[in-house]
Amino acid sequence: MVDFLVHRNGDHVGVAVRDIKKGEHVFGKTVDGQFSYELDAVQDIPLGHKIALRDIQKGEKVIEYGEIIGAATDNIAKGAHVHVHNIRSLRWG
Amino acid sequence: MKREILAYRRPDGSVGVRNYVLILPIDDISNAVAEAVEKVVNGTLAIPHPYGRLQFGKDLELFFKTLIGTGLNPNVAAVVVIGVEPKWTCMVAEEIAKSGKLVEAFWVEGFGQLRTIEKAARTAVKFVEDATNLRREIADLSELIVSLKCGESDTTSGLGANRVVGRFTERFLEMGGTVLFGETTELTGAEHILIQRIKSEQERQKFIRMFDEYQQLVKSQDVDLLGSQPTQGNIAGGLSTIEEKALGNLQKIGNAMVDGVLEPAERPPAKGLYFMNTSSAAAEAVTLFAAAGAAIHLFPTGQGNPIGNPIVPVIKITANPKTAQCMSEHIDVDVSDLLQLKISLDEATDRLFSRVVETACGRFVKAEILNHREFVPTKLYPSA
Repeated sequence: MVDFLVHRNGDHVGVAVRDIKKGEHVFGKTVDGQFSYELDAVQDIPLGHKIALRDIQKGEKVIEYGEIIGAATDNIAKGAHVHVHNIRSLRWG
Repeated sequence: MKREILAYRRPDGSVGVRNYVLILPIDDISNAVAEAVEKVVNGTLAIPHPYGRLQFGKDLELFFKTLIGTGLNPNVAAVVVIGVEPKWTCMVAEEIAKSGKLVEAFWVEGFGQLRTIEKAARTAVKFVEDATNLRREIADLSELIVSLKCGESDTTSGLGANRVVGRFTERFLEMGGTVLFGETTELTGAEHILIQRIKSEQERQKFIRMFDEYQQLVKSQDVDLLGSQPTQGNIAGGLSTIEEKALGNLQKIGNAMVDGVLEPAERPPAKGLYFMNTSSAAAEAVTLFAAAGAAIHLFPTGQGNPIGNPIVPVIKITANPKTAQCMSEHIDVDVSDLLQLKISLDEATDRLFSRVVETACGRFVKAEILNHREFVPTKLYPSA
């Protein structure tokens, strides 16, 4: 059983594949099953939502799929929920 | 994998998986006649729409291309064309007739609605007799054109359903099939990857021009697209930015290379993988793919989009376990076990492949069973 999946090793975020509750110790793998991760969730992460795999600084570019998906609008702690409240598109701005 | 199907061979050589007698209105004010014919003649299908009057230039061209392409679609056996006046009505009918299909045109001016309904219905009766006498024949799955468009995506799309469609696309192309995909705005953030996949410099430049045009349009509106792109449904499902959505979107073509770039509703010139310049709105894109000859559409969804098309079976695939459960009447292929890594990507793709073969042979998809017939021609700008 995995709690979250990661598109590519080195990504800053994983995606919850079940509803994760704050305080849970969670396990993840890359989609090809090659790399494993474990960390503590510091917030609730609903199914399909992203969990920070490391601390992300405000203004830092956020990486998923090995690509830039936007920039952090706030400091994001490892294990925190990553979504529209703390990252933003770098396009169409 | 089994790839033999039983399908309809049309006089122009195309292969279809359905056998509709289409009642095609040329304009909004002819919908009433088309729908009346559908009511009195069993086995016909009317596709009402709100357009066709006072359109001009490129917008009119695309509208005609969409109507003619819909009539030419291999899932259509015969077409009754109905308009308010004879000129445009006959032009559309003549273009469709070039394929060797049964086509006849009727117009309301000079006759009135009731006489037109009667004449069109009498022709429709004959067409239904002929169409229902056609038999499915053995064909290879790769003779079909398959189109791709996802909707109400969430992060499970990029992780699961879109990757399954991507692996299907790789396999289907390898066996000589033809695949269409589009969604120009929803490639924002992943366009650099797609550009590298386009085989020729000429086609690459064509894509860049189309992509830049859409970017200019978005910028010219000077609004925050969050809520529209990504949509509220996307955001609820965990997608945060257009870049993230685009990267997930592009999973649908797997690692395949792109043979060419098409204008909206343009038919692919050869076999292979083609990008088409389309809106990212589901019904508009599927309507354009159908007009380009797609016989089956693959629609991965995260949060659950019920979309269908009047003439093309739309196969819904989800990897979201909640959607697979709470919207089960919409989902054809559930690959949610892929998210738990309980099955491999190839095993999940086998599941989709079998369903595509069954659908091609006549099995109804959920959207057909639930009466989803969204026919939505793309409007480029206001009418004159």
